[in-house]
Amino acid sequence: MTPERLVVVGHGMAATRLLEQLVAGGYTGRVTVLGDEPVPAYNRILLSAVLEGTHVGEAITLRGAGWYADHGIDLRLSSRVLAIDRERRDVMLVDGTVVPFDRLVLATGSLPTLPPVRGLVTPEGRLHPAVHAFRSAADCERLLAAVPRARRAVIVGGGLLGLQVARALSVRGVATEVVEGAEHLLSRQVGAGAGAVLARSLARLGTTVYTGARAVRLVEPTAGEGTTGVRLDNGAVLDTDLVVLTAGGRPATSLARAAGLAVRRGVVVDDHLTSPTDPAVHAIGDCAEHRGATTGFVPPAWDQAGVLARRLCGDDVRHTGSRGVARLRATGLDVAVLGDPVGAEGEVVEVTNPVAGKHSRLVVRDGVVVAAALVGDLSRVGLVTQHYDRGTVLGPHEPGQLLLPERGAAPPTAASLPDDVEVCACAGVSAGRLRACVDLEQAREQTRATTGCGSCTATCAQLVGTAAAHPGREVVRTP
Amino acid sequence: MAGAAPPQGTRTHCPYCSLQCGMILIGSGRGGGRLEVQPWEQFPVNEGALCRKGWTAGGLTGSRERLTTPLLRDRGTGELRAASWDEALDLVADRMASLREEHGADAIGVFGGGGLTNEKAYQLGKLARVAIGTSQIDYNGRWCMSSAASAATRAFGVDRGLPFPLADVEQADVVVLVGSNLAETMPPAARHLDRLRERGGRVVVVDPRRTSTADHADLLVQPVPGGDLALALGVLHLLVAGGHVDTAYVAGRTRGWEAVQDSVAGWWPERVERVSGVAVDEQRALVGLLTGAERVVVLTARGAEQHAQGSDTVLAWINVALALGMPGRPHAGYGCLTGQGNGQGGREHGQKADQLPGYRMIDDPAARAHVARVWGVDPATLPGRGRSAYEMLDALGTPTGPRALLVMGSNIVVSAPRATRVADRLAALDLLVVCDLVLSETAAIADVVLPVTQWAEETGTMTNLEGRVVLRRRAVPAPEGVRSDLEVMAGLAQRLGSPVELATDPEEVFAELGRASAGGTADYSGITYDRIEAEHGVFWPCPATEGAPHPGTRRLFADRFATPDGRALFHVVDHRGPAEPPDTDYPLHLTTGRLLAQYQSGAQTRRIKELPDPGPFVEVHPQLAARLGVADRMLVDVATRRGTLRAPARVVDTIRPDTVFVPFHWLGVNRLTNDALDPASRMPEFKVCAARVTAA
Repeated sequence: MTPERLVVVGHGMAATRLLEQLVAGGYTGRVTVLGDEPVPAYNRILLSAVLEGTHVGEAITLRGAGWYADHGIDLRLSSRVLAIDRERRDVMLVDGTVVPFDRLVLATGSLPTLPPVRGLVTPEGRLHPAVHAFRSAADCERLLAAVPRARRAVIVGGGLLGLQVARALSVRGVATEVVEGAEHLLSRQVGAGAGAVLARSLARLGTTVYTGARAVRLVEPTAGEGTTGVRLDNGAVLDTDLVVLTAGGRPATSLARAAGLAVRRGVVVDDHLTSPTDPAVHAIGDCAEHRGATTGFVPPAWDQAGVLARRLCGDDVRHTGSRGVARLRATGLDVAVLGDPVGAEGEVVEVTNPVAGKHSRLVVRDGVVVAAALVGDLSRVGLVTQHYDRGTVLGPHEPGQLLLPERGAAPPTAASLPDDVEVCACAGVSAGRLRACVDLEQAREQTRATTGCGSCTATCAQLVGTAAAHPGREVVRTP
Repeated sequence: MAGAAPPQGTRTHCPYCSLQCGMILIGSGRGGGRLEVQPWEQFPVNEGALCRKGWTAGGLTGSRERLTTPLLRDRGTGELRAASWDEALDLVADRMASLREEHGADAIGVFGGGGLTNEKAYQLGKLARVAIGTSQIDYNGRWCMSSAASAATRAFGVDRGLPFPLADVEQADVVVLVGSNLAETMPPAARHLDRLRERGGRVVVVDPRRTSTADHADLLVQPVPGGDLALALGVLHLLVAGGHVDTAYVAGRTRGWEAVQDSVAGWWPERVERVSGVAVDEQRALVGLLTGAERVVVLTARGAEQHAQGSDTVLAWINVALALGMPGRPHAGYGCLTGQGNGQGGREHGQKADQLPGYRMIDDPAARAHVARVWGVDPATLPGRGRSAYEMLDALGTPTGPRALLVMGSNIVVSAPRATRVADRLAALDLLVVCDLVLSETAAIADVVLPVTQWAEETGTMTNLEGRVVLRRRAVPAPEGVRSDLEVMAGLAQRLGSPVELATDPEEVFAELGRASAGGTADYSGITYDRIEAEHGVFWPCPATEGAPHPGTRRLFADRFATPDGRALFHVVDHRGPAEPPDTDYPLHLTTGRLLAQYQSGAQTRRIKELPDPGPFVEVHPQLAARLGVADRMLVDVATRRGTLRAPARVVDTIRPDTVFVPFHWLGVNRLTNDALDPASRMPEFKVCAARVTAA
């Protein structure tokens, strides 16, 4: 029997995860991957870290070209797909190459949406030179190249990506402003209170935020402080050198739609990640619509990739949904969003301190944390995430305790130690026995205190010879 | 004491952990019936320091609990009764011989221990392979540091716990302890950490519990049990991200880096946070310490290693050390803090299912030929690779498994994972023979119990966690009726018709061991008892030479690694997670470990009256305690899929709220633990399984 020919359209994080899991699972088919970018897949969500400078560029390559070759994967870069022919079971690339398949996986990701701002696109159909998208490594490189000449930047979109880019440019010394059409920042993830705390924190970091404001057109700069201007719907003009568009994306579905596959917002798939239109076609990641939802985050994309890989390796598993955790990656801004803290039903435990720039919200249903937003204070994020992921049933006081800082009791002073407290664990010597010794030398000889790890020496030195101050205390001697 | 004349007595080493602290023993009382422990300040590893286990180590001398006569299980009453040595040895040999006759030599299993001297470990392997002819020999070291051994062998070509003397850590800038509670398990070692900090160095402790060792640390990172591997991947990710990889070192001294670099691109900090429970800021704090340091030492111990992904976890931390360019650099590198007293030597001389003396692999024809020549037998008669420790126990009494088991230096019933299953398998044996000094829980269910000497009553060498071979000298005579393990083995070999005699004099056995190890990875052939005494121990490899004696090898890897091309190897590893993650029925992590005042299965320490024996207890965080309605000292039931334990709670804020901890020194605790094995090291997953805790 000839091996199955599996063609993966798209070469991003979902596709790479699929390939890794296929390799791990011992998939026996022949795999071809078609990526339209000129470089092997990279960790797209770290592009803002590269922009900020916390990550060097080479740190985000997911697998080197050698890895694909070693595992018999035919990786074709700069290979944009023109059309899928489901009748003939092949795909055609823009250069005319035809790639036949027995099974097809769509992992085409999403495309940035262009907001309705007049002047973004030049009459020649290109982006205005000051305008940048931020989706691909090429976008990131182009923006990085523009940074040295830029003094000011306007970020259109106050979501996770927008804030990351804003902080990145700010850290690089560019005066940055954020324009968000909704009434508060991160409006898809958190409530107004958290959004307000975030806006204050950003202001403290030197970034002005305009919420409830839409960019409507690119104009000439008014105050001459930039090369261009962004006019808002309230009439104000923000002078700037850079305009970065981060106002969301939409699933890349045009190939699927043209191939006659069921497409709503995304490429429709069932719990097997299979198209209801064609059992030989699957979709994963940002382009897929599973149970009516598209996501745009890595964890669900990877969950889907894992499930599909196992299915292709012969396991009968289903994808039933994912628990989402979104983290903002930007120096000086701490945000974690677990699930949907705005929409989830349940009882809400909330702690807000706008003065300190902190806002925490847990949504708890039947003792289980079903969603959370932590802004400004992530000291408990590790534990909260574990509880959320594991569905731990908490006691009635625990959600509140989780939102408060851990109490660190001050260590007791030597003088306050009760006699029966063990001071030297290595030798098992109590405070009382040490107090009964004349000096450290005697304590060492008679009790062996301080002769193990030695860390109690200071405390022992404070205790020895103090028995007189406590009349009536038993003097203990070792035999 | 300093400056005073050293006390008279016998210079030797502690009977317990792998630090093998030097101590001086003075016998007193009639026939040396009492033993006094005095400091031996000149011995460099502990410089006279000891913990309470060491100070009280003489407590079993003259104890009423010592066995002084062989015991046989009476067929009529089912009780153990006293017997003569001849009767006992004859019976063991007769039954073994007839089982061998009927089912083949593999019907007899041999189970050793990491506490046995090098001489005994060596002789046990020879007994199994030559006198019995079985491939079925392994030892409890599989449950100790085998994951680190497997990883170090793959990365560096050699497994020596520490490739440098322990005192070297004092000169490091940063020491990272992954899953080690050395302040409790080997307290004098903590002195080296404190000296490091006095010099301005930093200590990082990675442990789900805030242990006493954390008191010696500048940074404590508390991952969820089973999260160490993800944390290591995240650390490496951040090293790459920040451009902190020592590219000259990587290019000049290693292989395999590119694939590893790419493999950690998918372990960005926020993902690591979600998997490991370690917040991004803590990851960055840890990496910040590493990148600001010239000399970094990464040390792993059981917390990182006793997992079904333990050897990969160690490889991941070795990758970190290699990326920083540390192994082979002075006062820097990677090491494993071995657990048992002779955990190091015990794995080098042939009591492991796949190995022959000198750390040679049993399926290597050249190794077989060499060892067979030393033993005076035909290489073709040597059996091949046998089952690993747990797999052998799991097979006992099954149609294809051993029907008889000889146990030396191990208390399996307490220390094996999933102990109920192991007890069932032991019960299914035709013959269980246990050599011990007291009636341990395993001896108590044996058919034959053979009373043997304890450490102060016999001479032999141990190899400590540094690869330093030390000598334990006999300090007092053995009680009447007790024989040494070497004598037991010789007696059995002779009765089993061994083609060669087994020596009983330790020094003679050591010399033979040296010849058998010559040319192997762990070459002892240039080491003699006299040299050990004169040099405060000798570090292997130390080959015999024609001219000037080889000085021994204090530090490995300065110029090359022990791989064929001299380069260290990076390995791509990935986090798989615990074999048994928490779920609705068993929502908590259970982890196990040791206490300062007890040692391993407690067969010795629980019988020493000066050492507190609190029995098992369950550490519970106050948040969890409130959830469960449990107060300090209240009884709780800890249940896993394999068993239940009732014990008092200790409500402490030093543990994660999603985790409970139980010390394993008592019967019953290991009924809870998981027998999922590491695919490479065959290490069981002692350190994490899913549990449910309820008020009793």
